[in-house]
Amino acid sequence: MGGVSVDGGGGGKRKSLDSDINMIPMIDLLMVTISFLLITAVWSHMSRINADAQVPGPPRPDVEQEKVEPEKQLHVMMQSEDKFVLVWKQGSTTVDQIDVPRKDVVIHAGNQDVIRFPDLAVKIESEWKAKGQHSNPTDRKLDQAILHTDNKTEFRYLIGVIDAIYQTHRDMNLGPKTEKMPAFNITFAVN
Amino acid sequence: MPINNPGRRLMRSVGLEFVAKKVMGGGHRSTNAALSLTSMIDFLVVTVVFLLMTFSASGEVPQAKGLTLPKAENALDMIDAPIVSVVGSQILVDGSPAGNARAVEESDRMQRIDELFNMLKAKRELWKQTHPNKDFPGVAMLQIDQNIKAVVVKSVFQTAAFAGFPNVSFMVDKLPGSGAH
Repeated sequence: MGGVSVDGGGGGKRKSLDSDINMIPMIDLLMVTISFLLITAVWSHMSRINADAQVPGPPRPDVEQEKVEPEKQLHVMMQSEDKFVLVWKQGSTTVDQIDVPRKDVVIHAGNQDVIRFPDLAVKIESEWKAKGQHSNPTDRKLDQAILHTDNKTEFRYLIGVIDAIYQTHRDMNLGPKTEKMPAFNITFAVN
Repeated sequence: MPINNPGRRLMRSVGLEFVAKKVMGGGHRSTNAALSLTSMIDFLVVTVVFLLMTFSASGEVPQAKGLTLPKAENALDMIDAPIVSVVGSQILVDGSPAGNARAVEESDRMQRIDELFNMLKAKRELWKQTHPNKDFPGVAMLQIDQNIKAVVVKSVFQTAAFAGFPNVSFMVDKLPGSGAH
């Protein structure tokens, strides 16, 4: 038992002010809480990386289409073994093209090799700051990145490049608060 | 025969004199020892705090056997959605077979996987029936082994989009030290 002294002093014939707090319910509660948390604990930290397939809807001849200026899109080409090619395109027009030397950084995480491309991430961030169209926090739209890869590339390299593209963040107003969000939305090139 | 008050005693027939001495005092230290609860409660509180800090409300997502997910840093928290797994040559939708990845890999051509398309379309129709007044979110989770070739990834991605799941997420292992956004 735990005791709490609330000594009032004086003494005499008055009843003692020392009282015991029963600790057993508290220990029971702690034990039950620990058991619940251990049983419901998730030890594997899975997450997700988002992508958007951008499927166009069926053509509607009854609705007149407004002519909209096509937005700039960043095409990330990873077909070459020694470089990435970043191409800004507006519709079918090439606005700018930059070569980024490919340096695969392999990180050993447990018994797994993780592929990362920090140079590519830095270059994409600087490119977005210079040419990105949706940087205003009130703008809910994201810039579009399109990933071009050959058929033989392994999935972990794709994730490495997608991770590098998602490293660029921007502020976005979501209701009353502003949050950091990825600056790009990613999809795959069909070819 | 006089009636006596009951007291502490052992049967004489049991040869445990040393216990009798202990129970009766016998000049030795008492066998009743007070246990200090302070350190035990401290330990329990620290354990509860640690478990609460590592608690995840998003729950556990089943992972297909023999599958190694790639790791990424800039990842989001998991959401509830149909899971398309690609392990070896198998394509699974929520654990049920939905096509063969080897055929896609051998053809070396991005294509629609009909079996997967039909299963995902059926899931979409079922969702619409069960949620008649809601917009379909169109989210699918791709759980793909890190060594799968890009042609399979792109084919599954495209098939999911055509089946009405344009918002595709790739499942990854979060790199230690990185935070989910």
